[in-house]
Amino acid sequence: MVALEILIYGAVLSGIYALLAVGFALIFGVARVINLTHGAFYMLGAYITYALSVLLNVPLILSIIGGMAIVFLLAICLDRFIIERIRTTMINVLITTLALSLFADQVILQIFGPDNRNIPAVISDRVTLLGVDIAGQRLLSLIISVAVIATLWLIITRTRMGNALLATAQDPEAAQLMGINTGRMFMITMGIAAMMAALAGGIVGSFLTVAPEMGMLPIIKAFSIVILGGLGSIGGSIIAALLIGYLETIVAYLISFNATELVPLVVIFITLIFRPAGIFGKRRGF
Amino acid sequence: MTKDGLEIRAVTKTFEGLTALSDVTFSLEDGKIMGIIGPNGAGKTTLFNVISGFLRADQGQMVYHGKDISSLKPHQVVDLGMARTFQIVRPFKSMSVFENTIVAALSPRSRRSRPKGVKSDETAMNVLGRVALDHKRDEPVSNLPMGDLRRLEIARALATYPQFILLDEPFSGLSLKEMDALAGLIRNLLDEKCTILIIEHKLKILMSLAPRILVLDYGKVLADGTPAEIADNESVIRAYLGRRGHAGVDTTN
Repeated sequence: MVALEILIYGAVLSGIYALLAVGFALIFGVARVINLTHGAFYMLGAYITYALSVLLNVPLILSIIGGMAIVFLLAICLDRFIIERIRTTMINVLITTLALSLFADQVILQIFGPDNRNIPAVISDRVTLLGVDIAGQRLLSLIISVAVIATLWLIITRTRMGNALLATAQDPEAAQLMGINTGRMFMITMGIAAMMAALAGGIVGSFLTVAPEMGMLPIIKAFSIVILGGLGSIGGSIIAALLIGYLETIVAYLISFNATELVPLVVIFITLIFRPAGIFGKRRGF
Repeated sequence: MTKDGLEIRAVTKTFEGLTALSDVTFSLEDGKIMGIIGPNGAGKTTLFNVISGFLRADQGQMVYHGKDISSLKPHQVVDLGMARTFQIVRPFKSMSVFENTIVAALSPRSRRSRPKGVKSDETAMNVLGRVALDHKRDEPVSNLPMGDLRRLEIARALATYPQFILLDEPFSGLSLKEMDALAGLIRNLLDEKCTILIIEHKLKILMSLAPRILVLDYGKVLADGTPAEIADNESVIRAYLGRRGHAGVDTTN
């Protein structure tokens, strides 16, 4: 019974982590940018969904889409007006995105205060799956994660834009000679990744805490997943998200729920010491 | 100002005080080929980087077909019909020969310029056929020898449907047979009214292709004329012989 619970709850957690980590990996893979505002996009997605649905009575699904759209625009502006100017210097990107992420936390804290919020669930019923009782919303979040990541995969491998993204990821200068507007590719990547983070924020709001600092732990998790999977590798980050999601669930069941936050940190240490390039990375990320 | 060809007027580029290009001026009519030679560090590749939009000139103007291209980005230059190859080949390493070429065949210019009804994969196969790489379409580029990589570089440039090609030392690392094939391809492109600017150290083959040669030295245009004029030019002889001796000029091929 515990095994089945771990199987299902682990899948739900892994799906959300993958939604966050794949976007984070995509930005690094295409634009070579480590974007520390990624957690803030997740947090903003949750708060915008909250504000629209609870405070303004917009239907929930529209609120989630609204959150994704606003965060998409914010991310595009961030890329166009700030990151574009400092892209070539990694340390500038790290410090700037960290500062912006803290800034976003403070803005939300000033507007909404420090209290935890709750977003209603799209599906409020509970369901029984393989004999395990689970909130419908958790199951929905798993389905959405899988669907979104599968769609992204199809876009990258089957479309003209995906082809241009892959070329840009491999050699931006050669890609420009093939007529690809690499600046636009960087911007689109940032927008898509941010939208995925905002979607994650919007759907977990009914069963995880919505608070101004909620983006901090996920950024550490996304980071550890991307290091474990190999920086820039999308397939690697999906598998690493599964590994860390399940590892956390197992620790929660067999040791203590309080110990779960240690899992990604331990994974970072072990990976960097024994396999710095990650599972699927071809070279060291740092 | 002429509406045809490329005009480079007084282009200057410095890197932290070091002058890479100084007051470079020349023009090239449509359908013509011009060779560029000069000792290492003379600014040849910098000139290509400035024309193709990878570097911004500090001063001067560049006009192609009546349009100022001085401040365009590389993809915009490609979109005007100017393609370029790198001296050091830069394939997309995890892709196959065909996948590398299709990236270029999917570019807006390629889709706009080719005959109606021709698909991107047909264009890619077509240019691979022109450089005799079609039999290796599915090979990962990591398996290719240097000669094939050079040809792939040219195939990718051709897939963008250029009217003007900048070739940066396309003959280096090729066998005699491969050089003959490439020279044949360049002549075909000229027959199709393509304009070509070519940097090359192998003088014999360059002079057989280009009736006009530009000599750069320390970023300046030292001479601009026919191969015979260049070979007789006092300052060209001094630039080559004075600094590096006879061995510096590779006339073997």
